[in-house]
Amino acid sequence: MTADRHPLSMTVNGNRIDLVVESRRTLAEILREDLGLTGTHLACEHGVCGACTVALDGKAVRSCLMLALQADGGAIETVESLCDDDGALGPLQQAMADSHSFQCAFCAPGFLMTAHCLLAEDRDIGPTRDEIREELSGNLCRCTGYQSIVDGVERAVTALVEARNA
Amino acid sequence: MRESLMGKYVGARVNRVEDKRLLAGAGRYIDDVSVPDMLHAAFLRSPYPHAEIGSIDLTAAQALPGVHLILTGEDLKSRTYPFFGTLNFPRFYQPTFWALAVDRVRHVGDPVAIVVADSRRLAEDACELIEVDYEPLPGIATVEQALDADRAVVWPKSKTNLHYQASERFGDVDAAFAAAERVIVETFDQHRHSNQPMEARGIVAEVDPSSGEMTIHASTQSAHMVKWCIALLTGRRPLRRVVRQMISQRDHTKAIFKGMADYLKATPAMVAALKEMAPVMLKQNVTNVERTKAMNGAFVGLMGRDPKTLPAALAGDVGGAFGAKTAVHREDVAVCAAALELGRSVKWIEDRNEHLTVGSQAREESVDLAVAVRHDGTILGMRARLTIDSGAYPGFPYGGAVIAARLARTMFPGPYRLPALEFHSRIITSNKATYLPYRGPWEIETFVRERMLDVVARQLGLSRAEIRRRNLIGDDELPATMVTGPALDVRMSARRVFEKAMDVTGADDWEKTRAEAFAAGRRIGMGFATYIEAAPGPPGYMDNVGPGFSAMVDREPINAVLEADGTVTLHTQQVTHGQSHETTLAQLAADQLGVPMEVIRISYGNTRTAPFGLVGTAGSRAATFASGAVLLATKGLRDRIVDLAADLLEAAPSDIVVEDGRIHVAGTPSIAVTLADVAHAAREKGDEARGAARGDEAIRVSELFDGGAGGWSGATHVCFVEIDLDTGLVKIPRYVVVEDCGEIINPAVVDGQIRGGVAQGIGAVLYEKSTYDDQGQFQAGTFMDYLIPTAMEIPDIEIHHVETPSDVFANYRGVGEGGAIGAPAALCNAIEDALSDLGVRITEQHLPPARILELAGVIPTLSPSR
Repeated sequence: MTADRHPLSMTVNGNRIDLVVESRRTLAEILREDLGLTGTHLACEHGVCGACTVALDGKAVRSCLMLALQADGGAIETVESLCDDDGALGPLQQAMADSHSFQCAFCAPGFLMTAHCLLAEDRDIGPTRDEIREELSGNLCRCTGYQSIVDGVERAVTALVEARNA
Repeated sequence: MRESLMGKYVGARVNRVEDKRLLAGAGRYIDDVSVPDMLHAAFLRSPYPHAEIGSIDLTAAQALPGVHLILTGEDLKSRTYPFFGTLNFPRFYQPTFWALAVDRVRHVGDPVAIVVADSRRLAEDACELIEVDYEPLPGIATVEQALDADRAVVWPKSKTNLHYQASERFGDVDAAFAAAERVIVETFDQHRHSNQPMEARGIVAEVDPSSGEMTIHASTQSAHMVKWCIALLTGRRPLRRVVRQMISQRDHTKAIFKGMADYLKATPAMVAALKEMAPVMLKQNVTNVERTKAMNGAFVGLMGRDPKTLPAALAGDVGGAFGAKTAVHREDVAVCAAALELGRSVKWIEDRNEHLTVGSQAREESVDLAVAVRHDGTILGMRARLTIDSGAYPGFPYGGAVIAARLARTMFPGPYRLPALEFHSRIITSNKATYLPYRGPWEIETFVRERMLDVVARQLGLSRAEIRRRNLIGDDELPATMVTGPALDVRMSARRVFEKAMDVTGADDWEKTRAEAFAAGRRIGMGFATYIEAAPGPPGYMDNVGPGFSAMVDREPINAVLEADGTVTLHTQQVTHGQSHETTLAQLAADQLGVPMEVIRISYGNTRTAPFGLVGTAGSRAATFASGAVLLATKGLRDRIVDLAADLLEAAPSDIVVEDGRIHVAGTPSIAVTLADVAHAAREKGDEARGAARGDEAIRVSELFDGGAGGWSGATHVCFVEIDLDTGLVKIPRYVVVEDCGEIINPAVVDGQIRGGVAQGIGAVLYEKSTYDDQGQFQAGTFMDYLIPTAMEIPDIEIHHVETPSDVFANYRGVGEGGAIGAPAALCNAIEDALSDLGVRITEQHLPPARILELAGVIPTLSPSR
């Protein structure tokens, strides 16, 4: 319980962050409590529900299971980074809004970051609906029955593929 | 007369207002609340289902640097009032208990101590250092154990674990059974499972260090409920100080009594209810003295309280609830007591293990059923006995189990002709977590009735559609009255909905399809379920729960305000938590006022500004109640706006047109005034034009809506399955819902509510169970044990709408609960159908792969059915 504290350097949504943190603290705690990025949510804290999903060097990770110090030297993206510079919803968020993807939306940041990492994959054609379902199966939603979330990601994929091919 | 909204929003798939905030990660859920100088709480909880508490040693925990306060149950006796039963029914025992366990723990997770420290981490560290001596007692984990006279009682003062009994007869039951050509008997079980919103519970008790005043930030379905329950149970002072305060604020005390007298004078239904209930209340007061003392102490304490010290409650964004957040929980009271003790703000955020263990469990019910039928499938009568395992501590302000029992009894006939019903209810207490309401808390009636109809059909050699057609109430028989009391008005469309579902799915040709598939080695099945849902039900529906309930809850207040800047604010007592009220209520208001939606703001969740209502958002009531209230208030506001604009434009009010927020004389749209102009004019003109406007407001219109004609929602679900008997896996290739919820405000919102409910019903059947062993030890404390279905398990759900035209005012009805009501029955019926050649009869609701294989005889049966 005595604090063993260590330096931590990472970029979060493009900003360089230098902190000294207790080794037992998770990445999610640092994001929420120390950096005030409360868009990242904690819903199970044992790595099942995916609400805490953020991107670490472009890959989706569970920030509740990851010690903050494990992210040292990494580049973190959170849901807050998906908005446009003027604060309006970004393309992925807008596609989800257009699809009425969420209800209480507590799980939304995790789904958005999982989808964000999926869309960032360098592939010629977008994932199919079945592949989207599989990719999203690490995120739990209790409100929607998932159909609207799958619709939203599919809409974002379609827009992205159209843009790439344009 | 119908308010015909011809605007552009109602009925359209309008994008959600909420999403601009929530999808940006800018929501403000309970764990996002941070106030200055805030401390953090954690609870030490019982590892035993049932035990006497010996000594509690706090020494090491208190010595940990950063720990500010530790309270145990004993400490709360002087600081809080105990929880007590607020309901009155004959043969009903409601225990009295404290926010933290005193002397005895009654379920795994029962809170024993609260630790407040600089951080949650430290508070949890300190919990580890508390030494509690427990003397374990045998646990009560099943109904059989609860009713075994040789076993311990959970609440010694009641002398029995049977806490509620009721027997009622509707119609001539004996004649029905005497006339029966067949009597078919079966028992159906439903397992304990859980709401599990993605956001668990939590509270921030914010204390102003200078004034000592408390603001409660809560994740709740009703802010006013939180405020008044916390006010009632916290801030305990010695009786002499309470009395001294009552005397010193004589005028306030008199005003309370006058207020009660005025309320009763204005509410004759409540007076009649109280008269009816008086003997029951008196008997309970005499037989359960502990409760009487607790209740009197708390209410006298509340009256003898300086009203300036009453807390306020604030709900921000709420991360789901499904009924779990209709209660004020024991932890809430402990946190508030700790904050008041310290004079500092305290935050508690429940973790998932806690939420699974104690936060919300529901649905543990069984029904013994006998059905009297003719050979042609005509149902003559039923005898049913419902048993509910309500766990140890009832919820507050009311226990969910007795409400569920009352509603299940009322709804048991569903949309069918049922001339006679004998209905027995019993509620037992056990060493399990609190039973709370869960989405369609009376759902057992649909599960049992729809399951039984399939059983009866097979026994009589009828098709499953045929037995329903023979008994469903058709349009030509409406209006009608259910044998249990509620009226079915001409909009009750269950028969039409059912026929459409049969058409859409080709269900009448199913036997052939299935036979072909079986022949080809594919094990497929189809099942359906038909139900109606009181959303909100006919006028007076809630009186079926208990006398006076309708008078208490059938009032939806609303304030519509034209602000000085020309925007419009609607203050509602609803606390939206996923239902998208910021969008749907704004759609209604915008169309009624003739303004763009961006002009409307829905204000909710703050007891300082929201009109008073204890219900909040629950019971699928908002679609009718909140919508009707919005229509009434915005109509009143529009009239005032039009009058003022007519003055400004020097025209007659009847010639005024409001379009897209511009107000002009018909035919001359180029000369227009804005809402800001009207607001300015109202403020210039003064009181007469402004209504009840306060401060900077330009105009305020307040309305109270009583629900009008109310009405029924309803649906038929058709579920198709394919079962693999190598693995026991059940796949759902197609799921169809045909439903009628009246006029639709926003189709995307309606469809989302239905799909979410169906997903929870599928989860209940195939995955989810709040498992206890036969000693009462809890075994599903993580999401690896309690399985929430993912995007891989829930299929796309096909929805068809039936709308019954009507002139009824606010012909919008609730749709939040129905999905979860219909799905378990439809899915279980489909599974039985797929196993029909094996002679399998499904009498339980939890059917994970291992159970499917047991039922199919692929593996030997190891586990008992529950």
